Amino acid sequence: MGGQISKMMGKIFGSKEMRLLMLGLDAAGKTTILYKLKLNQDVTTIPTVGFNVETVTYKNVKFNVWDVGGQDKIRPLWRHYFSGTQGLIFVIDSSDKVRIDEARQELHRIINDREMKESLLLVFANKQDIPGAMKPQEVTDALKLTQLKDKIWFVVPSCATTGEGLLEGLAWLSNNVKSPPNAPVKK
Amino acid sequence: MSRNSKPSRSPNAPMIDTDRTSDPTSNSKSPSSGPSSQHSSLSAPRKHNPDAHPRRKLRSQYPRGEGENHVEYILVASFDIDKGPVMEHQYPVAITGDEHMLAELMLPDQAHVRNQDWTIFFLHKDTSQEDEETEEKEEKRKRRQKRKEKAAGILKSDDENGTEEDEPEAEDSEDSEPEGGEGPPLIYVLNLVNTKQDKTAKRGAVVKAMAICTRHPFLHIYKPLLLLALEEYFKSPHPATLALLYEAVNNMDLSLMPRLTLLERHLLQASDNKDLFVEKFEQMIQIRMAEDRGEPPESVAALAESPERRVDLTRNGTKAHVQAHSMYSVPRDTHEFETKVVYNGIAIPIKVPVAISPETVGDFSLIKLIQTFAEPHAKSPQPFPLHPHLTTGGPYTHPIIVLANAMLTQKRVIFLGYNRPSGEVAEAVLAACALASGGILRGFTRHAFPYTDLSKIDDLLKVPGFIAGVTNPTFENHPEWWDLLCDLPTGRMKISSRIEGAPLTEGLANFQQQNPGYPVGVTSSTQITHDPTGDAAFMNDVLRSIAARHGEGAIRAKWRDWVVKFTRIAAAFEESVYGASALYIGVEEAEPGNESVSGHGYVWSDEPSKLRELAGGVMRIEGWRNTRSYYSFKQDLAQLYNFRPLKALDLHHLHDRLRMTKLTPVASREIYLALSKYTHTYDEICQLLTVAPESHAGLFYVALGLFHRDKDVRFKVVDLLERISEHEAGRHWWKALSHFERLAYVRIKREAETEMRIKRENDSFGIGLDDRRIS
Repeated sequence: MGGQISKMMGKIFGSKEMRLLMLGLDAAGKTTILYKLKLNQDVTTIPTVGFNVETVTYKNVKFNVWDVGGQDKIRPLWRHYFSGTQGLIFVIDSSDKVRIDEARQELHRIINDREMKESLLLVFANKQDIPGAMKPQEVTDALKLTQLKDKIWFVVPSCATTGEGLLEGLAWLSNNVKSPPNAPVKK
Repeated sequence: MSRNSKPSRSPNAPMIDTDRTSDPTSNSKSPSSGPSSQHSSLSAPRKHNPDAHPRRKLRSQYPRGEGENHVEYILVASFDIDKGPVMEHQYPVAITGDEHMLAELMLPDQAHVRNQDWTIFFLHKDTSQEDEETEEKEEKRKRRQKRKEKAAGILKSDDENGTEEDEPEAEDSEDSEPEGGEGPPLIYVLNLVNTKQDKTAKRGAVVKAMAICTRHPFLHIYKPLLLLALEEYFKSPHPATLALLYEAVNNMDLSLMPRLTLLERHLLQASDNKDLFVEKFEQMIQIRMAEDRGEPPESVAALAESPERRVDLTRNGTKAHVQAHSMYSVPRDTHEFETKVVYNGIAIPIKVPVAISPETVGDFSLIKLIQTFAEPHAKSPQPFPLHPHLTTGGPYTHPIIVLANAMLTQKRVIFLGYNRPSGEVAEAVLAACALASGGILRGFTRHAFPYTDLSKIDDLLKVPGFIAGVTNPTFENHPEWWDLLCDLPTGRMKISSRIEGAPLTEGLANFQQQNPGYPVGVTSSTQITHDPTGDAAFMNDVLRSIAARHGEGAIRAKWRDWVVKFTRIAAAFEESVYGASALYIGVEEAEPGNESVSGHGYVWSDEPSKLRELAGGVMRIEGWRNTRSYYSFKQDLAQLYNFRPLKALDLHHLHDRLRMTKLTPVASREIYLALSKYTHTYDEICQLLTVAPESHAGLFYVALGLFHRDKDVRFKVVDLLERISEHEAGRHWWKALSHFERLAYVRIKREAETEMRIKRENDSFGIGLDDRRIS
């Protein structure tokens, strides 16, 4: 009941917080998305050694976004970021058809992890500005999202450099999140 | 008055040599070098003031032409856009072990957000194969040396050669302090990573790191060289660049840095005096200059003993030195040996610490560590959840004490510095190791990971009681990985919700049974009003010292005292609940005539304060008794006992009694007479000086004996002080003595001389003179 009250208080006073984990193959645009959201600027990024984490506030929701480097050798480290994650943002380079299968394997490996059971899944079909990029439906098919059971997922076409689609994605996450993470759950 | 006058119950007390004194008027036995010998400090017949200087031949810490390199490997790694961290080059050969793991350590998390970052990490390298190589090298070196000597015509007979070669080894075993006993020495790695924005590179940046791997704990001296060399490597990314650096650092000349004994190192570390042991530096140079002139070795040896033959040496940085353009100079401060490394035509000045305590690696600052966590605690203290080992002063225990307790009881400690350079977390880890060690305890750096990241977490979790530095805040979300999390940006510590409780131990049960009146440990209901461990008062003192800008050396000395006190209280605790302590090694029974000065161990002013302090410390002492640092301390004590010049007395105990308790004239008489009777040789006086550091009023309490009721005591104290004032190190202590005490010394000395003269005139042939040493 305490949880309910604090959830309502959160709704009234807007103190909602959400922990997001942003993953994807290397050079998919994760860091660019993060800093576009944070600074509303198109920053030129360099490869992430390790991780970035930033807090982004949008519509009274504080998003704690973790952006973790994507090179294949460091992907095994992703699992250490899983616990407590409420939303997974998986970023796809829609222009990279060669590696879409690799992306699908990685995605399925993540969401099959026990610790990610409760997490929402938001897919950014990024780099829509590049001619010939896959459309959201193509990405959905290539990632075999329809096969997922018990998973709430959503694909948004995006372009990190212009910001297109990013806020739409965040709005979807905040509307679908189940319980605020840091609210004291008393029973 | 109460004192610990119980006979010691040490399980491994050695045999006693009943007439063992170092009084030179007694029949002297020839000095023997066997480490277990009780006679090792018995001196040869007295020459003019021979005990002012050590009799050992002075040696270099890093002699010329020895096989050992300063730096063993140079590595370069880079962050590959497609593969992540990769190793690019290794010189002179590939380091064994997991190359990929090394590359990951060299490219710390978030290296991409800063232009430059330092890290430190340690490698536990198996040396079995290497040992063979070293042995071979050693053989080669000896052969080479022999050839050289023959060529130079130095070598006359095989006989002489034999003594030349055997001697240093015999002394090595005598001088060198015991190793930690936990495997081969670590390889310390200092790593510099640079991120350069580069439009031409794929994805706009190049991230590269260069590392120096050395077995010297003073790895920070290589920082300027790494800066230059990595810059060079960006320009020419070839193994030749590594080779250039490797040659440069290994050509660094440390051969004029004298080797100090364990006691001398203790004295130098605890003293701020910039001239302490300056004689040794001068002597090293004298010997070298004689060698340069091509003088035969005998005359070089003689030189050390004939000061009149010495050429005037100049002090580095002085006007005389600059004017004389002399090749050799004595360092400005004897704590640091000054040398240089010539890299790429640039001479880079280097300062190497002369005396290094165990567990002191790199150039951290205890002051910085303490301030980081003391300031938020002072502004708004937050209660800790209670844990018997950690919160020894209740929920508001000072966080630095919580940290020290956690290290002593071998908890898993993480320093987290999100958004901080990885060099900063590494420094905090190294500082924490030095804090808990105090230069006394070991086993911390060996299990420290000054910088590590998520990729090593599985290996890290296999290490019991690690100390790790990380920058990734995800560690905070995993309380199952650590027991104590120290957050550097906020200066707050967190005790894990998943920490294991403290087990009930036999020692605790015994103590409670023996002393039901003293509450042990802290329960949530007891509000700590007093300060049972004395830690709160200690922290206040440390913070006052920091505020008064007493400097890093003073703070390290204070922590050393804290750790020494902790171990001595632990010994007293063990004796009280188990009947004996492995932490005290000494004589089983007093020598005849020595009963009243045979006490040992920590000194309390009265019994209740002893029990109060033991009760306050029970939990963490019991927590410590199962740790690596406890076991290695036990071993170290046993080995150190062999090096101790004066074994019959616990000088620390006696000096503490002078300092801390009210003594009757009879009791203090015994102590002063014993001090005078037993401290004669160079090493014995060193030992006495270590228990009377300048920070504890130096010789003040010893010199108080000048005002003793009994005249013979006053005369003996004059004797003792005279010896100390002529001693190479003691002369600095003597200089620091108050004017008042020095005047008393002069007065009593004159009195003694007059009396002696009268006595001599009376018994015209000097029969029955007890003491003819008064000069």
